[in-house]
Amino acid sequence: MNAFTRREALKLAGLGVSASFLAACGEGGGGSGDGTVRFEGWDYEAQLVQQNLDRFARLNKDIRVSYTPITSAQYVQKVVAEFTGDAGPDALYVYDDSLAGWVEAGYLQPLDGLAGVADVYDSIYPSNAETMTYKGKRYGLPYYTDSQCLIYNAEILGKAGFTTPPKSLDELTRQALKIKNDGLLEYPIGMTAQLSDTWWAWVWGLVFASGGEMFADDHTPVLKSKDPTTKNVFAWLRDAANKSKVLDPASLQLLPVPLDNAMMAGQYAFTIGARYALRTYNDPAKSKVAGRMKLALVPGLEDESKGTVSNTRMYGLSANTQVKDKAVKLLTYLGGYDRDKVPYTAKFWFMQRGLGFTFTDLAKDPDVVAALKKFADPVVYQELAETAHARNVLDVPWYTEFETEMHKVVQQVLTDQATPEAAVASLDKTAGDLKKKYS
Amino acid sequence: MPRKPWSDNVRAYALNAPAIIVISLLVAYPIGYSFWVSLHRDNLKQPLAKRFIGLDNYLSLFHDDAFLASLRVSALFVLVVLAFTVVLAMTLALVLNETFRGRGLLLSLALLPWAMPGVVNGLMWRTVFDAKTGALNGLLTQLGLVDGYQAWLTSGTGAFFFTAMAQVWNTLPFSVIILLAGLATIPSELYDAAKVDRAGVLRRFGQVTMPWLTHPLLIVLILETMNAFRAFDTIYVLTGGGPGSATTTIALLDVRTVLTYTDFGLGSAYAWVITLITLVVSIGYIALLYRRGNFEV
Repeated sequence: MNAFTRREALKLAGLGVSASFLAACGEGGGGSGDGTVRFEGWDYEAQLVQQNLDRFARLNKDIRVSYTPITSAQYVQKVVAEFTGDAGPDALYVYDDSLAGWVEAGYLQPLDGLAGVADVYDSIYPSNAETMTYKGKRYGLPYYTDSQCLIYNAEILGKAGFTTPPKSLDELTRQALKIKNDGLLEYPIGMTAQLSDTWWAWVWGLVFASGGEMFADDHTPVLKSKDPTTKNVFAWLRDAANKSKVLDPASLQLLPVPLDNAMMAGQYAFTIGARYALRTYNDPAKSKVAGRMKLALVPGLEDESKGTVSNTRMYGLSANTQVKDKAVKLLTYLGGYDRDKVPYTAKFWFMQRGLGFTFTDLAKDPDVVAALKKFADPVVYQELAETAHARNVLDVPWYTEFETEMHKVVQQVLTDQATPEAAVASLDKTAGDLKKKYS
Repeated sequence: MPRKPWSDNVRAYALNAPAIIVISLLVAYPIGYSFWVSLHRDNLKQPLAKRFIGLDNYLSLFHDDAFLASLRVSALFVLVVLAFTVVLAMTLALVLNETFRGRGLLLSLALLPWAMPGVVNGLMWRTVFDAKTGALNGLLTQLGLVDGYQAWLTSGTGAFFFTAMAQVWNTLPFSVIILLAGLATIPSELYDAAKVDRAGVLRRFGQVTMPWLTHPLLIVLILETMNAFRAFDTIYVLTGGGPGSATTTIALLDVRTVLTYTDFGLGSAYAWVITLITLVVSIGYIALLYRRGNFEV
């Protein structure tokens, strides 16, 4: 019998390392090499995603899907790193904020001409269709959409003597001050204002609710020169945080999940958030204030709300996928219609977690209507959907940088380190510099 | 015919070749490539605009407000972290150098933070500093030192200070180990002689301990400066760089520039500036402390 010498062991180890190295080199360009569809998304309700994918697997026995949830805070960075290393997934979640950049980077391919895509785009809200279109091409199938709304604790308002939610920011301050002075809550308003990589929808919501815009349609900033709305909203924020002290200074330490927990523990009377949050806030299994949380239009500077902001999350197709047909089937299952002409996954998410749908027909679906009534006022819910519009700078490559800068500036306003005038001037300069940099 | 034996040089290179190849592939090549990238306009959002621009990325830093601000934050961060680390590490090392009951347990506890990844460290301190449920608030309230719960991380100064402390807590054990090792090498006869000469505690520390700790201190200064200058994960988790830009260090700006803005050209230039600055500071330390002892490289 031959002895297994050290030399042979080293040879085998070398072979193993070489084989692994070569295998790793050959894995780029999407796909796992065995026909499996690699699917990635941020980690929201990963178990439910897997449950839905298991159903897809049962319906499509010839397609295997490998699903990887990525922590939300790192999602954009990780996907960029993967695509940069030529190891991106075949199908993936895409933020509307990231779409233009990822298309320009060559990560995604257009879906125009694929079966069912035109039907989907004809059946969803125009603002969502517009958001998923870049330079005339369609890049996404809808995951969900949502609009920002005022979320309030009706019980706390009732104790302070209010029967209706505030319609303007001044009224919001008055109600919050009454709650504060009555000793019900020290800080009645909470917002998510810790720096992070996700957009601050509530800032855009307040500006849109006040009838303002930060940019003209040609992406020229108007927040300093032509439209004083942003400046006035910033002034309200500064006063709410530093003068009337109704906005919790701890907001600067709050990310979305801690804010949700605080709302569900009854620590705040007001916040501005997505409509779907109501589903959890009013779930008795999760919330101490279930049944008492209501939604309203976002209050603005005027007496009546002028609208709100919406976002669109979508499914995209990798430009370099080696399993395009299979990936398209998966995308269609997730973001399109099934054989019965029902947007199954969109309905699934609404029924399971209340995620807003882009398909207009779902608003009339009896199951959806019945489920909606359990956690929100359908009339207000629908009004928010109809008055919401998307940010008009999502299709510029420098949007992310502007958004990040806006977060810093808003933090400076909240901590009284910058005046509203200085804040808008700073943002105006930032936008100008970014336009120049990317020109 | 017998094979001619390899010379020592050839044999040394042959034996080291695998390691040299691996290091070249995994370390030297990426470093060199990042410099090459820093000489380009290279933003993934504009692949068609990619082109060689020479030193433009570096020259643009002189009027890059975000970069200059983050450089100031980083410099201050390094100073604060270094000052606290050196003083605390020296104190702790002197204590742990003594013989007393429970020393082993204290040594183990002192080393514990070192085992904690930066992200976990950030998460832990975020919980401690929480404005609603934080342990710090609970402690200070119970001791009657504050009236109510405070949002510690919402002022620029507070966020900066507490972030620096979290960094110190994480990296302190390494410095303690280095200094403790240095203390162990000091011959006890020197202290005995100093005592015979009636030297007090402070004098013994200044005349015996410190000269012998020059080189361990040099290592601590160099490595902790590098650590503090490159600090990212703890800060990212704790404050995200805020409020405003109060805790946006150069490393944080770099990661954001590369991975969020996908500007690899400018981000690589930032990385090289970080490298250059730490190199210059390290050379400064060596130049300053080299002559003060029999330092050998």
